[in-house]
Amino acid sequence: MAIANEISATNASAPPRFRLAAHWPLLALVFAAAIVPVLLAALWLKVLTSVVIYALTAASIALLYRKLGQVSLAQVAFMGCGGWVTLRLSYGIGLPFEINVLAGGVFAAVVGMIFAYPALRMRGLYLALVTMMASGGFGILINVIQFPNGGEGFLGFAVKAISYMPRPWIAQSDEAYFRYCIGVVFLGFLLIHLHERGRPGRAWLLIRKSEAAAMAVGINVTAYKIWGFALSGFLAGVAGGLLAGNLQLLDARSFPPAESVMIFALTIVGGAWHWYGAVIAALLYRFVPALLNDLGVNGDAAFIIFGGALIHALTTAPRGIAGQLTDLVGRITRKEKRP
Amino acid sequence: MIAIRDITVTFGGVTALNALTVDLADPVVGIIGPNGAGKTTFLNVLSGFITPKTGTIDAFGTELLSLRPHQRSRWGLRRSFQKEQVVDELTVEENISVVLDNLSLSSGQYQNFLAAALDFAGLTPVRRERAAGLNAFQRRMTEIARCAAGQPRLLLLDEPGAGLSQNEVDVLRRTISDIHAFNGAMTLLIDHDVDLIQAVCSSTMVLDFGSLVTAGRTRDVLSDARVRAVYLGVEELA
Repeated sequence: MAIANEISATNASAPPRFRLAAHWPLLALVFAAAIVPVLLAALWLKVLTSVVIYALTAASIALLYRKLGQVSLAQVAFMGCGGWVTLRLSYGIGLPFEINVLAGGVFAAVVGMIFAYPALRMRGLYLALVTMMASGGFGILINVIQFPNGGEGFLGFAVKAISYMPRPWIAQSDEAYFRYCIGVVFLGFLLIHLHERGRPGRAWLLIRKSEAAAMAVGINVTAYKIWGFALSGFLAGVAGGLLAGNLQLLDARSFPPAESVMIFALTIVGGAWHWYGAVIAALLYRFVPALLNDLGVNGDAAFIIFGGALIHALTTAPRGIAGQLTDLVGRITRKEKRP
Repeated sequence: MIAIRDITVTFGGVTALNALTVDLADPVVGIIGPNGAGKTTFLNVLSGFITPKTGTIDAFGTELLSLRPHQRSRWGLRRSFQKEQVVDELTVEENISVVLDNLSLSSGQYQNFLAAALDFAGLTPVRRERAAGLNAFQRRMTEIARCAAGQPRLLLLDEPGAGLSQNEVDVLRRTISDIHAFNGAMTLLIDHDVDLIQAVCSSTMVLDFGSLVTAGRTRDVLSDARVRAVYLGVEELA
């Protein structure tokens, strides 16, 4: 109800004329969904689809970091959990893609809730270490049991005769799947937004400010922390399910713990305080290495760029590239308004 | 009425509260004492951040010590902190909403309580502004509004007057005096400003080294030789 009130209040106060500042996220979304697939070759479309998917992962990291001040280095493992369940259900029961992805998300959310327990007692570096150990454990586990690829049994792993996971029936082609992912990721961002604007967002901010103050106003700190981790895990799990649909199978080698560290660092570079910081992070993570490869430079050179960008973010841009862009736009529009 | 019986808190070898027994009944009760006397520890026991070694606290017929901190808030216990805890990223009204969020209220009640609390603290004109842009006094009033919102039974204010100018303290004094009429809650007020205590508290308790020195009508307490000794360091006459 509070959310509804706030939304209706903001709508009522908005001037009727069209404002670019308020609508550009939607315009960017429509542009990406409608134009990008037409312009790009198949390879780039796959790359950009994974950019869209990793944007959701980055958003799930940013959510925890921004709202609860927690560093999770296990998000790629959450993706793996979501992807595993999605693949297993798809081969095993043949449910529609959406239900498989949702189930993957819910499974990752449950795993996230388990992670929340150490987070109740520790934070900062120690929690980061715990999540990284756990994601290392996941890396080993998944190397042993492998992702399902159409085989028999509980694990569903076949050494030969690999079959590909079917995509959603409305998004069989790469172009359609790209648009499909944009739609799902948009819903994920919307879910984050609704949480932030409503009761959980307020509670999380107060918990971040001071747990004692949060308890003093009646916030169940334990429950809200667990809920934050569950939501973050859910989003990463859904991203994992989408990734499984993009490649139509998953490879255990794509989920080493180092990737979690990398995408966390890039989320900081992109900017954890703005929704499009997650998009920038995903572009850096997936698009830049592919671009470098295309230019004939070894994709690993991206690590040097990332290192520089991280130093830049930590020293001069605590709110990341997205924060700098927002400040820049703010400065330009203020100048325009001056007579 | 709040009946506090035999509350003892120790930190290692230090006794922060020593068998504290006192009855508090007036609408606004002051708690004074020198630094380290155990005033904030006492509030932390009431809030549930510290579990005492012994003792009971009966507040209007409820055993407070059996409730967890966030349950006490839902029961009607509110508190402000020495360093105000207003969230910069939220607006003034959202900073007050955080307490109403945790009460089971209908949408209408919610808005009524919110509007009443904003009006009570004089924050209605800035209700949609972000807390980051507020001055120290407005932040303090935001916290008081957060404490007063809903239907609290007991407010604990920890040095709300610290760092405010004389004019601001005057407004604060009137606001604190009005809390009981506004929502019927009782207020426990810690402050070093004896003028403020004298102006708003009909009764006062004095702590020193974790023990109750005296409690009673504020005027009597402040003229008590033992209290003067505690504050001025004068040898107590036998």
